[in-house]
Amino acid sequence: MTASAQLPLADDLFLTAHDTVKGKCLLSPATLGLGMASALIGELVLWRRVDVVDGKIQIIDDRPTGDPAATAVLDQLLREGHHRAVRDWISFLATGVATDLVERRLARSALVQRQEKRGLFGAKVSFVPSDSMIAGWPATRIRTFIGRGELLDIPDLVLAGLILATGLDQHVFFTLEARGRGQLFDQLKRRLPAMLLELVGQAEAAVGDAVMARRA
Amino acid sequence: MSSTATKPPQSQLSTALARDRLGVAAVVFFVMSAAAPLTVVAGVVPTGIAVTELTSISIAFVAVAVVLAIFAVGYVAMARHIANAGAFYAYISQGLGRPVGVGASWVALLAYNMFQIAAYGGFGAIASPLFDKWFGLDIQWWVLALVVWALTAVLGVRDVAVNGKVLATLLVAEIIVVVVFSIADLFSPNFQASSAPIDVSSLAGAGSGALLAMAITGFVGFEQSVVFSEESRDPRRTVPRATYIAISLIAVLYGFAAWAMISAAGDDVIGRAGTEGPDLFFNVASDQLGGRAVDLGYALFLTSLIAAMISFHNIIARYMFSLGREGVLPRAFGRTVPGTGAPKNGSLIQSALGLTVIVIYAVAGWDPLVNLFFWGGSGGGIGVLLLITLTSFAVINYFVRNPAGEDFWHRLGAPVLGSLALVVMSYLALSNIATLFGVEEGSKPTWVVPLAFAVLLVAGIAWALILRSSNPQVYAGIGLGARSASSVGGFSAALASTDDKDNQ
Repeated sequence: MTASAQLPLADDLFLTAHDTVKGKCLLSPATLGLGMASALIGELVLWRRVDVVDGKIQIIDDRPTGDPAATAVLDQLLREGHHRAVRDWISFLATGVATDLVERRLARSALVQRQEKRGLFGAKVSFVPSDSMIAGWPATRIRTFIGRGELLDIPDLVLAGLILATGLDQHVFFTLEARGRGQLFDQLKRRLPAMLLELVGQAEAAVGDAVMARRA
Repeated sequence: MSSTATKPPQSQLSTALARDRLGVAAVVFFVMSAAAPLTVVAGVVPTGIAVTELTSISIAFVAVAVVLAIFAVGYVAMARHIANAGAFYAYISQGLGRPVGVGASWVALLAYNMFQIAAYGGFGAIASPLFDKWFGLDIQWWVLALVVWALTAVLGVRDVAVNGKVLATLLVAEIIVVVVFSIADLFSPNFQASSAPIDVSSLAGAGSGALLAMAITGFVGFEQSVVFSEESRDPRRTVPRATYIAISLIAVLYGFAAWAMISAAGDDVIGRAGTEGPDLFFNVASDQLGGRAVDLGYALFLTSLIAAMISFHNIIARYMFSLGREGVLPRAFGRTVPGTGAPKNGSLIQSALGLTVIVIYAVAGWDPLVNLFFWGGSGGGIGVLLLITLTSFAVINYFVRNPAGEDFWHRLGAPVLGSLALVVMSYLALSNIATLFGVEEGSKPTWVVPLAFAVLLVAGIAWALILRSSNPQVYAGIGLGARSASSVGGFSAALASTDDKDNQ
């Protein structure tokens, strides 16, 4: 683990998906959902509860992780044993389930707060980072490591992968110069385990899918 | 420990995913809105009659519908088996090889762009006299074309799709107008049931290719039904049904409307089409319906064109997005605006192209109705016809190699029959192109349009062959679109970065 306070993968991605100044979400709700869904599955892979092989999720250990969000997903996976395709699970969790789980987890640790916006068409409830500093944390951490030429740990590599897959890189990696970019890509290629590589690939395909079907 | 206390008996995953699925009606609506009924009936048909001096258009709609329905049997069957359904080049890549697929994708971009830009010209040409009539404003056609161009460009780049309900309401209103006006035609004092529009022998006569090319223009958009293969309630039923329903509806509606209009136009329909243009459709019914109804019809005509523009613009932007993701077009096209998911760069390029063409036509003083709207639309129609023909062969070849899961009729029967008919249609359309455009045999437009398609096809094939040797990973993903895990988005591009230094 890295020295800085690293949150669970999905929490880090959620914070990264929010503007550091205004706290506004940088992704469309659909894309954010796909990112949250993939990140929660990623957490289960990191917890060594599931494997992702050939587009399918295999449960290798059904013990709760101790974390409510990841465990909720694991429970659901256990309940619906006949559904195994990663893409189906990403699509399903992206319908709001994943975002909801992550928001609740972040709210419990007081990193996000409920925000109600009254608009023309009624109130819109959203969760925004309680401190603009926090939102920038994960991305800054990745940029700092890359800047120093150091190795990212596996969760941060997955995070970087999902940042690229959701298109967030246009916000958080645009300050990286060509050399840093090359280093990051190189690490992704060499060090991201095959299962997580596949998961991020599936996440990216799901994001593209949503654009083609006008859901993004 | 579970955070969800209750455990419902049925699968939450299945029900949640099923909730978003589309039914037959939704798919039919989507397809019909791209087909823009009033644009075809009031725009393409009268202009076509004037330019080609042919009137057997109703039977041409029916003939094209039959051929497309046969083609659709294999087309929707293959859609169930491949990723990225909805793009002709995906079928062609997997049926006839990736190089032809890339060539086809470039041809498709040109054809769709021709439609898109034709709609700008049509809008300008049709709206300009209306603004004079309604508001007493004398506005050049290109000013109005630029206004709708700007609207499309802004909505496109922000990816504001026209709300489904608005689109459906407009579409229903359009269909009602077409039906009511056509029925009014039947009671016109000039009405005399004409046999010319349904003269079967015309399909074998001189100019038959021009009629068929004109008719196919009315159906473009039907191919989009398969985009929803993975999103429909029952992939084996929803999409095929919606496709056949859309094709039949279009044929019956357009065929009937064209017949009624020609029958009610009196003896000299060609002459009237020449002088009145798109007004013909409204004029022949006006004495039965009165000015209010005609004004309403015109208003819907304009909104129909705008809806068609926005929908084609979206199709083009997504086509480029999909090609950009695959790495066939520059990667920048495979990017979206994160906050909205809009495929921004494809949209911008389309808008730039549209602006260029409008400006060229305005400066050169070319006729926006005939030279832009009709030539662009029917030229695009020929492009789509050629793509459908290639796709039909691709379907045969694909099922020869992967016969599992489909019966003989879906795999071979219908596709072979369809391919033969499509080859004949393509031949006729290309050989009648002078009649279609209403120009001299051998004059510039008759060879520029086919040549443009041929050049793009060959260039695409060449580009694919270059990719095969220089970038095998990109080559392997051709035709799979954004829907496959091997596509080239930001992450995949990162993984492929040593093979390819130019990603940004």
